[in-house]
Formats: sequence, C-alpha cells, structure tokens
Amino acid sequence: MVVSLHRENSLVKFFRWVYAGVDRTIFMGLKFTFPARFVSPLGFLGMLTFVIFIILGITGALLMLWYEPILDRAWDSVQNINDTIPYGFHIRNIHYHASNAMVMVAILHMYYQYFSGRYKIRNEILWVTGVILGVLTILEAFTGYDIIFSERAELAISIAASLTNSIPILGPQMRDAFFGSGFHDFVLRFYAFHVFFLPIALLGLMVVHFPRFLVFDVPMVMAVTGAIMLTGGVFPVDMGLKFDPSVPPGITVPEWYLTGLYAFLRTQFDKFVTGVAWPGLFIFALLVIPFVDKYKKFSWKDRPLITAVGITSLAQIIVTTYWGFYINPDRTKSLLERLVIDPIFFYLVMLLLVPLSFGFTYMMIKLAKNAEANAKLQPKKAGGKTAINLPKKWIYILFVVLLAFQVYLNISAYYAVLNGMKNYSLFIIGIIMLVFAGMFHIYRHGSAMAKAPPPKQTTFPSPAKPVPIPSPKPAPSIPKPTNEPLPAPPIQKSSGTQVATQTSQKTTTTTTTPASTSVLSNSKTDNTQNVVAEKSATELPKK
Amino acid sequence: MYETKVYKIFFEQFVYMTQQAPPNSGGKVSRRDFLKLMAAAGTIMTFAPFVDWGKFLPNPAANVSERAKVQLPDGSQANVKTFQVNHSEAIIYPRSEEDETLNKESFRTWQFIRLPEELGGKKNDASAFRVYSMVCLHLWCLWKYWPEDGRKRGECPCHGSMYDPLTGMAFAGPASLQSPPSNVLPVLDLEVDNDGNIWIKPPNWSVNGNGIVGFGRFIT
Repeated sequence: MVVSLHRENSLVKFFRWVYAGVDRTIFMGLKFTFPARFVSPLGFLGMLTFVIFIILGITGALLMLWYEPILDRAWDSVQNINDTIPYGFHIRNIHYHASNAMVMVAILHMYYQYFSGRYKIRNEILWVTGVILGVLTILEAFTGYDIIFSERAELAISIAASLTNSIPILGPQMRDAFFGSGFHDFVLRFYAFHVFFLPIALLGLMVVHFPRFLVFDVPMVMAVTGAIMLTGGVFPVDMGLKFDPSVPPGITVPEWYLTGLYAFLRTQFDKFVTGVAWPGLFIFALLVIPFVDKYKKFSWKDRPLITAVGITSLAQIIVTTYWGFYINPDRTKSLLERLVIDPIFFYLVMLLLVPLSFGFTYMMIKLAKNAEANAKLQPKKAGGKTAINLPKKWIYILFVVLLAFQVYLNISAYYAVLNGMKNYSLFIIGIIMLVFAGMFHIYRHGSAMAKAPPPKQTTFPSPAKPVPIPSPKPAPSIPKPTNEPLPAPPIQKSSGTQVATQTSQKTTTTTTTPASTSVLSNSKTDNTQNVVAEKSATELPKK
Repeated sequence: MYETKVYKIFFEQFVYMTQQAPPNSGGKVSRRDFLKLMAAAGTIMTFAPFVDWGKFLPNPAANVSERAKVQLPDGSQANVKTFQVNHSEAIIYPRSEEDETLNKESFRTWQFIRLPEELGGKKNDASAFRVYSMVCLHLWCLWKYWPEDGRKRGECPCHGSMYDPLTGMAFAGPASLQSPPSNVLPVLDLEVDNDGNIWIKPPNWSVNGNGIVGFGRFIT
C-alpha cells in the first residue's frame, strides 16, 4: 500500500489533480484533521452533528422514494415502507433514531461550547448561527414525525398550526401562508418543509457556521452510527395509530425534545404566551449570551454568573422535559384532569430552580477551585498519561479476531433478515459498525506505533551537549547540526520568558516519517525553553 | 469604535443633505440625490409586482362564490320539512366533486344542527338551524353535538371543551378559557328556498365574518 502511494501511479496523480482543483474553490479554507490517536469527542460534537445530518440526508432521500405525502395515504405508505419494502424497516429506523441523535448531539455541542466559553475564541456569528441551526434542527425533526400522519402526528400538527394561529395580528395570515388550509395542505407542506426548505436553510447556515479547522474522527463517527443502529434494533419505532377524525385520540406525548414545551402548554395558560413567547424568549436569551458574557476568562469556573445561568437552563429543561412526559396514571379521573398541570405549582417550581441552580453552581465552582489549589500544592506526578501499549503481535491477533467476528456478524445479520427478524439484523449491523470503530482505532494505534518517535525522555540531557534521539532500530543515525538561526519565534505569552537566541539542531534518523525529525534547542539557560522551542518548531516555515 | 464612526458619517451625511440646498436654489435637490431617488423608485417599481405573488401561498379552494347545498351523509339535500328537531349531522363544506380525498379533511367537516325545541328548533326557517365548524378551537380535535336530555351541547372528546349550540360559544373546558375570538366557533350562514331546501350562503372567512376554522370568530 505504502509502495503504491509513493510510486505516483495514475490514480494518485488523479487524486492530486482533483485536490489541486478543490484548492481553488470555497473549500480551500477548510482543513480536515484525521486524528492519529483518541481525542475527546467533546471538541468535535459539531462535526458529529453534521455527520448525523448526512446520515439523515441519505436515509431520508431513500425514504422519499416510497413515501406519499397525501392525507389518506401518508400513514399507509409509511406502513408499506416499514413492513413490505426490503430494508425499509432499517432505513426508517436509522432515519428516526438519527433524528433523535442529531438533536441530542446538537444540544450537547451547544452546552459544551457554552460552558467552555469557546464562543469567545471563535466569534459571535458562529454562536448565533449555531442557535438558529439548533432551532431549525428541532423544527426539522418535528416536521419529520408529523408527516407520518398518525394520531400523534395529527395532534402535533394541530398544536403547531394553532400556535401559529395564536400569534397576534399576523397569526391567521401566517398560518394560511405557511400551512395552507386543512390537513391535506398541512401534510403536503410539512413534507415540503421537511425535505427541502428546512434542509436547504440548514445547509446554507452550515456554510457560515463551519469553522475552518474540522476534525473527522473515523472511529467516533462509526461508533455514533453504530449506536444509532443499535438503538434502532433495540427500540424500533412504532407506527402509531392511523389518524381517523371520527375517533377521539387518546393521550399522546410529543417527542422528547418537545415535551418541555408540551409541559408549558399543559398548564392551560394562554396559548401564545406558553407556546410561542416562552420558547421565543429562551431562544433570544441563548442568542444574546456571547454579547452579555463580558468575562475575560474562558473556563466555567471563572465565569460564575454565566455558568449559573447555563445550569439553571439545563435544570429547567430537564424538569420540564420530564414533566411533559408525566401523565397522571389514574384512569378514573377525566382526561382533562390528568393532563392539566397546575400553573401556579409549575411556575413556582421553575422559579425555585433558579436559586437552587445558582447555589449549586457557586458550590461547584468553590469545590473545583479548592481542588485546583490542592492539586497545585501536591508534587506533580511523573508520566501522567497511561497508554495501553499492546505489543505488535497482539495487535495483529486482535485484528484477526475482530475480522473473524465481523464475518460472523455479517452472516448473522443476513440470516436475521432472511428470517424476518428485522430489528435483530439492525442491531447486529450496529455492532458491526462499533467493531469497525474498534478496528480502525487499533489500526491507527498500530500505525502510530510504527511511525512513533522513540519514547520521550523525561529528563533532558545536560544542555551543553545535545544528544541525538535514539531511533527504535539501531540504524545509523547521524546527527546533522545545521546551526541556522530560527526566524522570530511566535510570541508565547504564557511563558513570559524571551526566547531570543536559539539555534536548532536537526536530528535526522533514517526513518522517513516526519514525526521522527524533531527540533531541539540548545539554549544554555533554561531547560523549560525546550518545550517552547519544540512547539514553535512545528510552525516554522520549511527551508 | 467602527460603529460609532459609521453613525457619525451617516449623521454628517444627514446634516449635509438637510443643509444642502443653498437659500437661492429654492430647495432644489442636487443632481446626484435626484439620480439616487430615481434608482430607488425604479428598484421598487421593478419588484413591486412580486408582493401580490404572496397569494400563491394560501389555498384558495375554500373561497366559494355561490350558494351550496347542505348535503347530508346520505347524499340528499337537507330540508326544513324532513330534518328532525334536536338532531345533528356531519356535513362537508366546501365539498370537492373531483377529489374525494379532500372531503376527508377535518377542516371541511361541519356540524349541521337543528336546535332543540326550547331554543326555537320547531320553526321552519333558517333560524332553527346552525352550522358550526367541527374543529375544536382548543387543539383541533373534532367535537360533535349530543342531543340527549341534560347535554344538548357540543362536546369535544379530547379535553372536554363544551359549546353552546345557539351561539357556538365555548362555555366550559379549555376552549372557553381562550381569549376572543378563539372561544367562538366559526359558523356558516344558511338560507331556505321555497321548497324548504337548505343552502349555505357564500362565506366571508374572517374573524369578523363567518370566522376562521380552527381559530374562531368575534360574536357580533
């Protein structure tokens, strides 16, 4: 493989040609990073959201081949997909669970950016477009489960349209313009919104929202995909009852990302205030956060007020989401009695959550700062990271075992489909994805080990005499002191020390990997500057 | 700050423009400003026709310009001589002749009620009849009229909203708590010909007229 890549065959030439062409397009600003080792997914949750969006796009496009957005045929066509079309069950379940995953990952992404204060590094445009993207994502998911036109979908459409209607002055006109009149139009238009208007808006906003440096972590992407399929296998989504206007609907609860709003609606307070004004206020508050946050520092510990507001919002979201799900199980009571939430009790709880969350936040900050101070007093641990170092032989053995497992899983998935056990086969395919994630991780671990520079020396040799880094194989390594002065080093505010005169010494080993060429400084004053120099060396222009 | 600079420039421009005309020019607009004005007017005129294109969005099918039959579920036209007192039927309005699917639409289902005797249901004219939208004003379930003694009212099966058959106003349940016009059902106006056949007059779909289905009506 390596050989063919180095030999510049026509395929490689073609790829290079394409790459050179792409360099002239808007994508030239984008830089993809494929991490060579495990990195925390918290940093690239946005990328994961996008990947799930792509999964939704593919499965959704396939579903479009069979779905019919017509009043009396919508539900039947979904049933057709689910029950008779081969792999329709799989596609539909992946689509459904991926929609939930996308909303969930988007929310996690937002809160991670919020608490880590990362909107300060990027800029406000990214945050604002992100919030709009989040709202559109929820609308996208909402319109999706409505066009099945089950009983629950009908009620959800009703609530959406009557909420639009409740907007003062322009409400009825807006409802007429966006939804048309009656359920025939509603289904058709929700479909149009779901497959075209909203995705196009999402894509357009993504162009603005994408930062230039993107992380594409294959194992994590495959793990998320696998988790979606696995969930689809364990909890396959049901069809619901076909909507029939002559049959009064039973109690239905919306999807989990809207039960919070549903709890507000169930207080039977004014429709516009509870269903439009409160969520609008919440979204507005999110939008203005980076403009309100005037703290100079990033960490949640250094921004107590903002953190407390975030914790309050989380607490309220969790409580209302649960409350929206909860319906008094006492069947002797009337439907209305079981559904209605006492507004005074409800709003009192909402208010009570504010001081509780603030107290919790300030307590946590205090504890965290104490822990930090204690950690500083303690002597530093040597080493720090403990990586699992598998010998090469065991990596190969593990690979073979996993490959055999993949073969076994493939066969079982196929037989599961043959025997009509659709959800079981989806479950197994989910496992296959997870195994692939594991395999890829092992592959990258192994190849990183092959390329890796020799284990780092924890104690530097005496600064006067630079020692070449020993290579793993006893190869003829000749240190070449070049002694050329470095260009002005990037300013390091953190260290404070001036890195004025440095000379680099390239230590080339016979292995051709770039990682093995490292630059050391022979500064005679301070060993800590080595770290700085090493950091800056990666940013130097090549000579 | 950049913004304040921009404001300053705008302000100066404004001051300049207001003080522009020298006293002897008789308030004449400068040549450049006149050109700008023309360009703006031209742009507006170019894109003005598209405002009316907004009519593409709402569905015009609900607009009926002629009177329509009250067609009962058995296909016959309702007649004052034959329709029972204190009785109701679900009718479809406007009825689509070419597309049966549209007739399954809850927004086109109406409750055709002949009032009970004590509310004047005995009279053989249009005043004995009522047609209300069956879409409950709360969350758009379909309510219906219950003729039993002690009920004689419209009831929604979902959350228990109740409607007065005489006016179409909600008097109990969540729909009654909604502020006007969302507490009164949309209504259709009726007329009776010489044979006693009942017809629906062309409606005016507005809150001050016949009301908006699923939204309500102001009682006049």
